[in-house]
Amino acid sequence: MAEVLVPIGPQHPALKEPVSFRVWADGEVIVRLEMDVSYNHRGIEKGAEQRDFHRTLPLLERICGICSHSHTTVFAKGIEALMQVEAPPRARAIRTVVAELERVHSHLLWLGVAAHEVGFNTLFMWTWRDREAVQDVLEALTGNRVNYGINAVGGVRRDWPPDLVSTALDRVAPLGDRVRLYADMVAREKTMLARFTGVGKLTREQVLAYGAVGPTARASGVDYDVRRDDPYLDYARLPWKVITDDHGDVLGRTLVRVGELHESLNMIQVLLRDLPPGEIRAKVPRTAPPGEFLSRYEAPRGELVHFLRTNGTDRAERVDVRTPTMANWTSVAMALRGRWLADIPVIVAAIDPCLSCTSRVSLADPEGRDRGGMTWDELREHGIRFYAEGRHER
Amino acid sequence: MTAPADLARVASVLEGLGTAEAVPGPRIRFTTTAGNLREAVRRALSGLDLDHFIQIGSVDTGKAIELHYHFTGPHRAVVTVAVALPREGTRAPSLADLLPPAGLLERQVHDLMGVEFDGHPALDRFILNEDWPAGEHPLRKDWKPREGAFYGGVRDAAPGPGGG
Amino acid sequence: MTVPALLLHLLVFPGLLFLVSWSLALEWVDRKVAARMQSRVGPPPLQPLADFVKLLGKEVIQPGGAGGRVLGLAPLLSFASVATAFLLLPVSGSSPLGFQGDLVVALYLLTVPTVALLLVGWSSSNVFAAVGGVRAVTQMFIYEVPFYLALLGPALLAGSWSVSGIVEWQAGRPWMGILQPVGLLVGLVGLQAKLERTPFDIPEAETEIVAGPLTELTGRRLAVMHLAKDALLAAGCALLAALFLGGPLRPFSAALPGAVEGFLWFAAKTLLLLLVLSTMRAATARIRIDQLDAWGWKVLCSLALAQMALVPFLASWME
Repeated sequence: MAEVLVPIGPQHPALKEPVSFRVWADGEVIVRLEMDVSYNHRGIEKGAEQRDFHRTLPLLERICGICSHSHTTVFAKGIEALMQVEAPPRARAIRTVVAELERVHSHLLWLGVAAHEVGFNTLFMWTWRDREAVQDVLEALTGNRVNYGINAVGGVRRDWPPDLVSTALDRVAPLGDRVRLYADMVAREKTMLARFTGVGKLTREQVLAYGAVGPTARASGVDYDVRRDDPYLDYARLPWKVITDDHGDVLGRTLVRVGELHESLNMIQVLLRDLPPGEIRAKVPRTAPPGEFLSRYEAPRGELVHFLRTNGTDRAERVDVRTPTMANWTSVAMALRGRWLADIPVIVAAIDPCLSCTSRVSLADPEGRDRGGMTWDELREHGIRFYAEGRHER
Repeated sequence: MTAPADLARVASVLEGLGTAEAVPGPRIRFTTTAGNLREAVRRALSGLDLDHFIQIGSVDTGKAIELHYHFTGPHRAVVTVAVALPREGTRAPSLADLLPPAGLLERQVHDLMGVEFDGHPALDRFILNEDWPAGEHPLRKDWKPREGAFYGGVRDAAPGPGGG
Repeated sequence: MTVPALLLHLLVFPGLLFLVSWSLALEWVDRKVAARMQSRVGPPPLQPLADFVKLLGKEVIQPGGAGGRVLGLAPLLSFASVATAFLLLPVSGSSPLGFQGDLVVALYLLTVPTVALLLVGWSSSNVFAAVGGVRAVTQMFIYEVPFYLALLGPALLAGSWSVSGIVEWQAGRPWMGILQPVGLLVGLVGLQAKLERTPFDIPEAETEIVAGPLTELTGRRLAVMHLAKDALLAAGCALLAALFLGGPLRPFSAALPGAVEGFLWFAAKTLLLLLVLSTMRAATARIRIDQLDAWGWKVLCSLALAQMALVPFLASWME
């Protein structure tokens, strides 16, 4: 059969944000693909150079609608380090709680999306219903459901009275049982297992070579988690462990995320039961001395990096954002080749792509001749190997 | 855990290619030149157990364009290989063959900072739209939108096909 | 049959008017049941009708390069075939239009919508529609064999090729569903595949190929295609109910009941089968076409063949 071009995106039911895959398929098997990860440019990096630190924070919050707290926290912690101030313990605890709640709602969202991509709408509805509960807690605690606006340079903007904290605890507690139910469903539902097992397989070596991060990397046995490797906020004093898995496929990524849900829920409860007293915001100078700081953060999707440069004024000289999705694209492109057309949605969804993060500095690239920044020959070679594997698995 | 990538080790592995210093983070920054960049990265990758490439940080300081290649490894220490490039005729060797993820990041830096990466397989537009004026790199400090120039999107003045 | 009675039979009950309302009612039950399983509220009872009427009033968009005549005719053809097949099935009693061999005719007519989908997909000049159309036919070749085998089991045992004849055979005897439980199971799975519902909604996989063959159907074309799908659901359930659950028969009864009671039994059995299909839809993920290929031939087909092989023994035991 002749190769046909299947355009997936920029508008497609499988995609929640604009990205374009131009997929050449031989019948149902992907032969090669080109990727275009743009369409969402808002010029945020340029904008961040033109505002003072306090006005940059709300701007960065709008990089992403899911991991909004990640972007403000990683920036605030970098600027605080450059200013040589430290957020008070209570502020750090509050930031950690919001960060973990964000991870819970992001992973629940992901679980639903992954189920929806393989047509399992029941799980999709169930997880999103529980995600509502998390968002209600976030709204009660911060005042907002999406862009929480809790962070400030030097601390947080809102203190939590004890009754609010106990209400939040009551609402978070039942979620553990729900997550256990989903873990059970993922492990036992045959049709879902059939769609997740062996799909989007990446070995440990491939993950490292392609620079994948977060649950995508940890599902292939790569033991990187910034929360432990470069501890920030309260992670060093909290009881938790890094979840890894050695399946290396979509099932592995699911198991890692479900495991992280348990860890996060546990951390939230430990923190909320024993919030440190005291101030919530340190006094910070207006300007930051010249310097540079590589601020790393474990966002729900993986390692988020802001490379910050200050020049002695009240504005950053450079905020260079590397989002987890940006790091994961190369691995996606490699995992897709030689797979079935039907696997595209679930493999792409498995890295939990956040396109508005990735293309915050992007406009459009309809040509997109290069796929994943690899050479033709390399791609061809990988393609042949993956193709052979795909054939073999049939 | 493997041997830590401390300052002394970085200096000895990359000896003769530039200077190493410890910067807050904690992080070790190794400053080299564009000519030695590939050699420095190659030696760092094999000699310092750096298996995770984090980012190419790019900065326009007004005097030079700086590129910071951040790495980490099983020892969890972050090592940065940094180069400063002239603002005119900014060129650097491509690392896309050594580090697959660098392919995308170099295209990003190329678009935004105007760095030419020699040896990149396809240094195409990646994040700027196709009707963005050539030779304009928005994250350069001296970049300002030109009066009357078209930067993509919908043209206000010109009626579209069938519209008007 | 007199001419007015025939017209009444064709147009009102159990013909066109009944079929349309019955199909929409079944769609509502299906949607409502699935919604409750997914902890959603679900649609109000008249929602399927409202959807249908709304779609009828929408603009028909003709994609450039697409075969307009095929896109216009295929939905009508599908609905007409299913509606004709439905006339042959016993709803309140034996079908007055039934004849020896109507089972085979009904099975052929119920295949027409799938072929129509291929035609629509192929002439839509849209890659998603084309891929969907090819998937629909590929899937048909996989499920049709076990589905037919399962449905021929009752015919062989009863020694009749008429659906109504098989129903009459079951009067006073154990139903085919009890004699051939595996056949019923294979029939249900085959019907789910025929209806292209999860886990077999491969040809219409939304997240992969948008809406498959239906991608370029708009307005009344889409409305009629949806109606044909609903009618196929009604006809498929009616067929299984007749072949395996005795259709309008009352349990443990040797005689055909009156028309009203017969219809109530038919409705109850159809709803029971629908409940199974809805549960299957809500409880599974969509499998891939290669997985269906392997599973359909290895497992489903073997089960159907095994059931077939038992029929002679059953027949001698029954006598």
